[in-house]
Amino acid sequence: MADDFRLEVRSDPRFLRCIRSLVRGWVEVCEVSSDATDEIVLAIDEACSNAIRHSYGGRCDRFVELTLRADDEWIEVRLCDQGEPCPPEHHERRVLEPPDPERLVPGGLGVQLIHRAFDDVTFCPGATAGNCVILRRRRNR
Amino acid sequence: MGLTIEKAESGSKIRISVQGEVDLYTSPELRKVIMKSVPSAAAGVEVELAGVGYMDSSGVATLVEGFKSARENSKSFVLVSPSQSVMKVLELARLDSVFEIDRAP
Repeated sequence: MADDFRLEVRSDPRFLRCIRSLVRGWVEVCEVSSDATDEIVLAIDEACSNAIRHSYGGRCDRFVELTLRADDEWIEVRLCDQGEPCPPEHHERRVLEPPDPERLVPGGLGVQLIHRAFDDVTFCPGATAGNCVILRRRRNR
Repeated sequence: MGLTIEKAESGSKIRISVQGEVDLYTSPELRKVIMKSVPSAAAGVEVELAGVGYMDSSGVATLVEGFKSARENSKSFVLVSPSQSVMKVLELARLDSVFEIDRAP
């Protein structure tokens, strides 16, 4: 599987819309259905937002590295940062139930949206520092 | 397209009309307007979302904060005409049954 895009983007949330735009174009080239396209774009946006918020603590002067690739069977996205290691509880998948309005808590939804859009979600330490997340989705899901 | 937020008083309610994309960059602005409006509205707040083409989890968290603040202040908090993108993310979050949603055009 060859890389289609390798992209380094400054960790400034202003650029998230640029990432979404690129990812949407790429997913459309991959001929994924429009419903799936929205889910994938949202999930990648959430992964980038998590890197900015949690790994970089909101610092806008670092970089996230995004790699997009696809073959006949899979689409695969890799997102790496050089920030602080994320605690495992930030990655945990939960079953989303209709929440009790009395106990509703804002936040914690991003990772669930990532799991929803992708079949395999692997969080691992970066090669030298930071964090990587590898997202894989079957094309014929 | 960034985010445009308009605020208008309509009787005892404050209506906040939102247009554009709500993400990590733009949601703090929406949060500020909502959290300022909830305590100052006599009866409650309506957030009109027909023109929102994209909303991420930070936007959803902003709406949840508004909802919670309204409950604490005994005010209403209604989402008006949410776009398809907004409804989809609320459904994914299983929050579509929690918010009061007015789908009227």
